[in-house]
Amino acid sequence: MTTDPGLASLRVLVVDDEEGMREGMRRVLAKRGFSVDLAEGGDAAVRLFESNLYDIALVDLKMPGKSGFEVTEHINSHGSGRTVVVIVSALATVEAAVDVTRHGAFDFLVKPFTPDDLVEVVDRAVAQRRLLIERETYLSELDSERSQSRRIINWMQQGLVVLNIEKRPCLVNPKAEFFLGVRYRHGMSLEELIGCGEELHPLHEAVQWAAGPEASPESTRVLILKVRELVIEARVGPSYREGSLSGIMILLRDVTEEILAEQDKKRFVSMVAHELKSPLAAVINYLNVIQTGALDDDFPKIKEILTRCKIRAEDLLDLVRDLLYLNQHDAGKTQKSIEPLDLRDVIKSQVEFLRVQAERAGVAVSVEAEAPDSDPRAFTVCADRGDLERVFMNLLSNGLKYNLPNGRLHISLSRVAGEVVARVADSGIGMRSEDMENLFQQFYRIRNSKTSAISGTGLGLATVKRVLGDYNGRIAVESIPGEGSVFTVYFPVEAPETAESSTR
Amino acid sequence: MARILIVDDDTDLLDGQRLFLESLGYEVATAKSLEEGIERVEAAAPDLILADLMMEHYDSGFVFCKKVRDRPETAKVPIIMQTAAPREVGFTFSTSEESDKKWIQVNEVITKPIPLPDLEGKIKRYLGST
Repeated sequence: MTTDPGLASLRVLVVDDEEGMREGMRRVLAKRGFSVDLAEGGDAAVRLFESNLYDIALVDLKMPGKSGFEVTEHINSHGSGRTVVVIVSALATVEAAVDVTRHGAFDFLVKPFTPDDLVEVVDRAVAQRRLLIERETYLSELDSERSQSRRIINWMQQGLVVLNIEKRPCLVNPKAEFFLGVRYRHGMSLEELIGCGEELHPLHEAVQWAAGPEASPESTRVLILKVRELVIEARVGPSYREGSLSGIMILLRDVTEEILAEQDKKRFVSMVAHELKSPLAAVINYLNVIQTGALDDDFPKIKEILTRCKIRAEDLLDLVRDLLYLNQHDAGKTQKSIEPLDLRDVIKSQVEFLRVQAERAGVAVSVEAEAPDSDPRAFTVCADRGDLERVFMNLLSNGLKYNLPNGRLHISLSRVAGEVVARVADSGIGMRSEDMENLFQQFYRIRNSKTSAISGTGLGLATVKRVLGDYNGRIAVESIPGEGSVFTVYFPVEAPETAESSTR
Repeated sequence: MARILIVDDDTDLLDGQRLFLESLGYEVATAKSLEEGIERVEAAAPDLILADLMMEHYDSGFVFCKKVRDRPETAKVPIIMQTAAPREVGFTFSTSEESDKKWIQVNEVITKPIPLPDLEGKIKRYLGST
C-alpha cells in the first residue's frame, strides 16, 4: 500500500462505536494519504457534519443510538450530495447489499476486512467522489453560462420573445414585456402576451407565417407597429434546430426617435423647398408678365417690378446664406474666436450700421448703457465677435422692420448677477401670444396683412437662439399687439467651457 | 367681364398675377390674408378665386376655401388653389385623390409658379372664353 499525495485534499470520516476499529481504519487511511476524522457514534457523526464537509464517510451499520442507515440518510438529506457513503457491516448477503444502496449509500464493506479490502473500497469511493466533483463543476459552469445568457437577454435594449413550436411564449425579456405592456408568466398563450388589438394584428400574421411552410430558416419579416405612443419595429423569423422548426423568434426595437427624426427632416426639407420656391415663384411670375408684353406701355411699372425682382432675389440669397450658416452651426463647424468684448461697443457698431435703414423707416434709435462706476467691465462678455454681431444685427433689424412709422427702438443694457441683460424694445406692430410661442422656430414668420410686405428668411430668431445657446445664454420675448415687442437677451459673464475652444 | 379674386400673402406674386389678369381684361380684386380674403369675397362677388395654400398657417388656404363654400352665395364659385409647397416630399394634396377631394373642396390645385399661359388656360376653362 502506497501513499497517494493526491488524496490529502480528500477528507474521510470514520463512524464506528468500537474504538479499535476506528483507530485501525484511521491508521490505514492516514497512511494512504487521506485526512481522517473519527466519530464514536451516529450522533457524533451528525454533529461533525454540521461544521465539516467530508468527501467520504465510512459508517458502521450497527451502532447504539443512530444506526448507520440513519446516519447515511442524514448525510444525504443534509449534505449537498457531495459525500460518498460506504456502509461497514458484518452482514454479507445480497439483501443487505440491496438495502444499503436503497438507503443511499454508495458501497459496503464487510467485516472483518483486511487493510487492502478497506483501501480497495475507499479507492472506489474516491473514484465516485471525483466523478461527482467533475459533474458539479460541469453543472455549475453550465449554470453560470445559462445565467449569463439570461442576464444578457434581460439587459438587451431590444425586446426578445421566443415562442415554442406550439407558438406558446417560452421566453420574454423585460424590454419585450415593456413594449407589449404585459407581464410574462409561464404557460401564457400568444394572445395573452401580444393581445388581440388591431394594431398588433400584423404581428400575429407574421407569427403564422413564420410557423408556416413559406418561411425558410433565413427568412425574416420586418414590421412597423404602433404600440401606445411608441413606434416599434418587429423582426419575426422561424428558429431552426437540426434542420427542423423549433420555434419562432420575435425581436422588438423602439424606433420612435428615428421615425420622429425622419418626419422632422421631411418637414424641414419641405419648409426649405417652400421658402426657396416662394421668392422664385414671385420673380418668375413678374418676369412672365413683362414677357407677355402686357406692360409694354408702362415703363415705370416695369422698372418697379425689376426692383422688386432684385429685392426678392437678394432675399433668396440671404435665405441660402442663413441656411448654410445654420447648417454649419448645427454641424459644429463654425469657427469661433473667443475674446472679451464690451457689449456696448458691439451694439453701438450695429446701430451705426443700421442708421440709414432706421432713417428710411423713420424709427428713432436710442441706446442706454451706463456702466456702474464701480465696474467699468460690467458689460464685458467672452464671445466671438461675429456671433454677437449676428445676434444683435438680427434683433435690431427686426426692431426696425416690424416697427411703425415714427416709431422708436430702444436698447438698454444692465448687469444682473452673473449676466449682462440686453433689452431691445420696439414700438412696432407687436404680436399675439400664439406667435411668441413659435417665434424661435425655423421658418416661423408672422404672416398677416401687416407683415406681408416685410421680407425675411424666417431663420433670424432661430439663429439668435442657437447662437446664444452656445454661450449658455438665452432670449425672452414680451409683446402687446399694436404696441410693440421687447426682446431680452441674457448673456452669462463667465464664458462656459464649450465656448472657450477656438472651434466648435 | 368676369371678376377674379386672388388671395396670397406674397404681395409680389399677387401684384404680378393681378397685372397679367388685368391685361387679359379681367376685373381683379386682391387680398393679402385669409381675413382680407373673406371680406373681399363678400364685397367683390368674384366669378373665380385663386387662393394660396400657406398663408398665416400652413392650411390657411383650406380654411379660406371652406368659408367660401359655406356661404350659399359663393358655394359654387370655382377655386384654384396655388401652392409653393413641394409635392415631392408628400407635403401637399391633390384633387385627383377622391379622399382628399372630399375635404379640400377646391376645384384644382396648382404648383407655383405656374406659367401664365397655363394659368390663362385654366381660368378660361372655368369662365369660358369671353
